[in-house]
Amino acid sequence: MSMGIPEVEDAGCLLCFGYNGADSHPIVARRIVRGRQKGMKIICVDPRVTETARISDIHLQLKGGSNLALVNAMAHVIWEEGLTDDRFIQEHTKGYDEFLKVIEKYTPEYAEPITHIPADMIRQAARMYATTKPAMILYGMGVCQFSQAVDVVKGLANLALMTGNFGGPSMGIGPVRGQNNVQGACDMGALPNSYPGYQNVTVPEIREKFEKAWGVPLSDKVGCPITHVPHRILHEKDEKKRIHAYYIFGEDPAQSDPDLAEVREALDKCDFVVMQDIYMNKTGLYADVILPATAWGENEGVYTCADRGFQRFRKLIEPEGDLKPDWQIIAEISTAMGYPMNYKNTEEIWNEMIDLCPSFAGATYEKLEKYNGVQWPCRDKSMEDKGTPYLHKGGNFATADKKALFYGTDWHPPLEMENDEYPMSLSTVREVGHYSVRTMTGNCRMLRSLEDEPGWVQMNPDDCKRLNLEKGELVKILSKRGYCITRCLPTERVKPGATYMTYQWWIGACNELTLANLDPISNTPEYKYCACRVEKIEDQEWAERHVKELYDDIRVQMGIDTGKGAAS
Amino acid sequence: MNYFVKGNPDLCIGCRTCMIGCVVVHEGKHIFEVDPDSYNFNPRLHMVKTAKISVPVQCKHCENPACMAACPVQAIYQEDHRVLINTDKCIGCKACATACPFGAIDIVSLAGTRQADGSERKVANKCDLCNNIAGGPACVRVCPTQALSLVTEEDLGGAMEKKRMEAARNAYMEIHPQNGG
Amino acid sequence: MALKQVQTTCPYCGAGCQIMFTVDADANKIVEAVPAPGRTNDGTLCLKGHYGWDYLNDPQILTKRLRKPMIRKGGKRSPLEEVSWEEAISYVAKKLSEIKEKYGPDSIMGTGSARGAGNEANYLMQKFMRATIGTNNVDHCARI
Repeated sequence: MSMGIPEVEDAGCLLCFGYNGADSHPIVARRIVRGRQKGMKIICVDPRVTETARISDIHLQLKGGSNLALVNAMAHVIWEEGLTDDRFIQEHTKGYDEFLKVIEKYTPEYAEPITHIPADMIRQAARMYATTKPAMILYGMGVCQFSQAVDVVKGLANLALMTGNFGGPSMGIGPVRGQNNVQGACDMGALPNSYPGYQNVTVPEIREKFEKAWGVPLSDKVGCPITHVPHRILHEKDEKKRIHAYYIFGEDPAQSDPDLAEVREALDKCDFVVMQDIYMNKTGLYADVILPATAWGENEGVYTCADRGFQRFRKLIEPEGDLKPDWQIIAEISTAMGYPMNYKNTEEIWNEMIDLCPSFAGATYEKLEKYNGVQWPCRDKSMEDKGTPYLHKGGNFATADKKALFYGTDWHPPLEMENDEYPMSLSTVREVGHYSVRTMTGNCRMLRSLEDEPGWVQMNPDDCKRLNLEKGELVKILSKRGYCITRCLPTERVKPGATYMTYQWWIGACNELTLANLDPISNTPEYKYCACRVEKIEDQEWAERHVKELYDDIRVQMGIDTGKGAAS
Repeated sequence: MNYFVKGNPDLCIGCRTCMIGCVVVHEGKHIFEVDPDSYNFNPRLHMVKTAKISVPVQCKHCENPACMAACPVQAIYQEDHRVLINTDKCIGCKACATACPFGAIDIVSLAGTRQADGSERKVANKCDLCNNIAGGPACVRVCPTQALSLVTEEDLGGAMEKKRMEAARNAYMEIHPQNGG
Repeated sequence: MALKQVQTTCPYCGAGCQIMFTVDADANKIVEAVPAPGRTNDGTLCLKGHYGWDYLNDPQILTKRLRKPMIRKGGKRSPLEEVSWEEAISYVAKKLSEIKEKYGPDSIMGTGSARGAGNEANYLMQKFMRATIGTNNVDHCARI
């Protein structure tokens, strides 16, 4: 995020785009609610009536998969009506004229049939965003989990650039990162194209710096993105490129990735799968080796939250069993392979890292303790450098000439559209009380009691009536790739023809249905759009029994003694 | 006057932290250590979501409670600014749940209590404003957006006085619009 | 009962909330979580922050905590057998070395973790893939 989370409530206008804070980050949603109380204008772009939509000034309930058409149309209005910040464009940006050529045709009338939003409403929203200062954009997975994800992110950045909404507090654009340390995993270079601190692996000077620090030659080739792994195991012809070993650390691809049938086949065919985790999970069923790690609460270190804030996490209790911290397991394997890694604690690792990353160099443990966290960039070790609440101060961007680049692209429809056999659309969403693949929250008593298997499919009441479905009834939901069973939840918050499922469930596992189509730049799967069909199950008693059996089977597979035969 | 907890749909984000807070405070902290199949999960307030509204609904602690009037065994009574249910006396007849105009009463199983035929006892369950619990209603305390508040006689009186002031100002403005109140 | 207070960062979403835990050090158990005045959460928590920690006690509701290193000695589909750390580490090191030798470093993929492990473990994981294995095949579920 270019801004800090506390700044959200002081924006003049919030454009909340494909971001449902109430379910994904209640404590960020709280800032939106507080902003509203202080008079913040809210434009909410979401195909569902979310909590933010409910309190918004304008709710653009767009057709799923039309994001870029809407964003380009808003840019068109801002340009056509002269609501641009020309001085900012001239002094701080490049590529404006080329960008205008792309958006020229995106009149609100052109976007109306694509987005299903009346042209005048698009105009009103664009005017509100462009004329209320400071204006902030928050976006979430409703942007990122489409095959045109990066284009839309750039499209949103274009809006902020056109209106001069960069360089001060409570403005800019913010991807609100989902998992607690997804920002941190990126910061640390768990990415195929960059070393820690967003330093590109293909730049020779940077590579040389890391080669010198680590004492070995390093590869200059960009690595394999995680979403390409199933293909690289199953279909790669070149033996040297085929993935033969997969070291999976704190992830569960057999639950979280799209098109689970393909993932399972890949894990099964992969010569050597190592899983390092805290709980048994579906990936573990295919692992050749399982390495048990200490969990949050049993170890310490630093996380990065969504607004670039480094914060310490601390040990609460002693681990029980034969467990080691993740960093220690990795270091021991490395040492056994002939590349010694000797660290006494996390601070030693941290110090090595910050000395290699100019943007993090000043964020010492001492400062993290003293200031209760530091937002990067923090370049200087002196105690005066307390970090950076918001980015691009004064309109200076992190490019060679400090200018930002406009980047326009055309909209194209999602890859799989509704059809006769699968007449409804499916989008995956989030359950507020559960997290990720649920190995943590699914084992928390209260969170489990609030919501449990097999989850819900949210549908418009008209669709439910047509299919003769009642609230709570078990239904079968199918796509070209598979099917699962879940409960029907009629709600006026969704449009007819659309369905929504939370991805946390193992029985109601919507990733049995989703499509592995990827954004060509970010390689993010199109979780937010595929075609599906909902079927009534006539024998509800059988279905209830079946779900219970499936749950028992999962628990047995996961090593729990359910009193019905030996745990495997 | 009886007190009550009021929800503000403009602040509520529908997260249901209040519902868990309610269960934890009534069951006790041991709930995090017991056998996961042995406790009750009976929140005394329920999240309601429509197309336009999200807000938890719970007992209003009426001054003339319809539930109390309907109870055939005098299990419902008023004490210390609240309406309470004596679950020992309750026979689970559902008269109170039917009588309540707000849907604030559920009939729930009491885990670990058995009747002569082996079945679990079922009793009426509703908000008790966290009776005898230090710090007041848990739902109010745990709500991340301060969408819930305890309304006491004083609050209500204050709010009424404010509204009367507003009404007086409006009456004046109707006659002297140019004076700006 | 020796109670102590420890402040830490919530392990769930990216909001980075600060939580104050009360811990019974003798029983090695968490007693309670209350909101701390963090920069982002300002003394508030959601349901996961308040009530999302008892998984540490391994209640075995959905899955079971892993407590010992395990290897499938008879290949895929054979049962997992508990082994010592020495055996597990040297087995992984040997297998990865063999595969690297036979097919080259780009035949090995590693993941970082966007969840509980923390930045230091992620730094070491990418360093392991890049320096020890010799590939940039490292990624995590930011895309998922």
